[in-house]
Amino acid sequence: MRSVLKRELLLNLKNLLIWSLSVGALGLVCILLYKSMEGEMKDMADAFSNMGAFSEAFGMSTLSIATLKGYFATEIGAVHGLGSCMFAAIIAINIISKEEDAHTGEFLFSLPLSRNRILTAKSLCVAIMLVLFTIVCTLFYLLGFSILGEEMPLDLFFTFMARQFLMNLEVAGICLALSSLTGKNRMGLGLGMALLFYAYDVMGRVIPDLKKYLFIGPFSYANASEIFTNAQFPLSGILVAGAALVCCIAFAFWYYGKRDLAS
Amino acid sequence: MKENVIEISHLTKSYGKSRGVIDVSFNVKEGDIFGFLGPNGAGKSTTIRSMLGFLKINSGNIKILGMDSVKDHEKILKNIGYMPSEAWFYDSMKVSDVIKYAADVRGLDCSKEAAKLCERLKVDTHKKIKQLSLGNRKKVSIVCAMQHRPRLFIFDEPTGGLDPLMQKKFFELINEYVAQGATCLLSTHVLSEVDKYCKNAAIMREGRLTMLGTPHIDDETFLSFYEEEEG
Repeated sequence: MRSVLKRELLLNLKNLLIWSLSVGALGLVCILLYKSMEGEMKDMADAFSNMGAFSEAFGMSTLSIATLKGYFATEIGAVHGLGSCMFAAIIAINIISKEEDAHTGEFLFSLPLSRNRILTAKSLCVAIMLVLFTIVCTLFYLLGFSILGEEMPLDLFFTFMARQFLMNLEVAGICLALSSLTGKNRMGLGLGMALLFYAYDVMGRVIPDLKKYLFIGPFSYANASEIFTNAQFPLSGILVAGAALVCCIAFAFWYYGKRDLAS
Repeated sequence: MKENVIEISHLTKSYGKSRGVIDVSFNVKEGDIFGFLGPNGAGKSTTIRSMLGFLKINSGNIKILGMDSVKDHEKILKNIGYMPSEAWFYDSMKVSDVIKYAADVRGLDCSKEAAKLCERLKVDTHKKIKQLSLGNRKKVSIVCAMQHRPRLFIFDEPTGGLDPLMQKKFFELINEYVAQGATCLLSTHVLSEVDKYCKNAAIMREGRLTMLGTPHIDDETFLSFYEEEEG
């Protein structure tokens, strides 16, 4: 199983580097821009906080983007959330199905490993990729804070990164289950899922009737503006996330273990 | 008395409403080179893929090396060298990495045997998989199937894409391993291969199996199996 895990990590290394460096560097550049925009921020913060549902959706009604905390939550929070969600979806959606899609399954599955072991190695690979992605981005953002020399509540920052990681795991779990269903490349579906979850969260914050169902979506408990304003702990959202993750992984193992493999 | 290495009884596998194989039963004894013939879509690959656990069978029993193909799946695969009809590997890997990967997953150091096989089959281990032709990928597949010296070889149309010299070397290798106690199931369309190398043979047609009294059949009898199906 270790050989399969090692092979999967190597095969996905390029993806990890591209996505973590891109999202991390983009976040760093945004953080560094804060200093140059600091003077104009006050007027912008007033304008942004009075845009009704839009301000609500992006957290600008509760946080001022004139502070680094507010700027990070509203700007980088959105960039990291969407970027990390797309990365999680891309990594997980093809991790199983690629073997049949690229016809490498006959080689891999003729080796003395059960399907469960192969799936365990692939699931571990996804989890490790997400841990590394989160670490790289965290280092980029910390570098930005240190260059700026501005005060940043690190406890809230680490809470944000931890919840984003959980959100990434949940999205990856859902995509892993989808990947177990077919032997075809489903990259479009994975990216579509990521965008759908993001859109659901934004709409849920704009449309009052949707607000009470917000906890179903993976972005609900990872919202930067809520975390940085010390909003109520999103217990229901986190419980749904945990349940979805366990159910999706269990489904992937169950379904993949019983289905025929394409040649 | 030689033991049965493969025991298949009443194997049935369907794909939804489509036929796969119906009530297939046959045995292959230790040390045999067993020819497995039949037209395209007759069910040869379905039988092989069921033996390897790629397909979940509807009914019947498959025992390989005395072990149940479902319960002892991993143990069975440790003792099998399989070469699929189309040899696909990870494009970005080098040939040497693929061969080592196959050995590593088995937890074995097969470097000596692999080097011997690569030399005899003229495999360039420095190339990347994506640079290889079908024939060269097939040679890599032969090395992966043979390097751990398995007790049972399963070859699905192995010689397609190989040049005549490589075909000859391939069968020389099979004969050498079989002489050392291995057994071989050879699925092929080439009657001359069965005639020349096999000790027993069976032919599949429309999902059903017919044992042949002898692998040495003439072209006309062989083709009649295909023609009757068309009729």
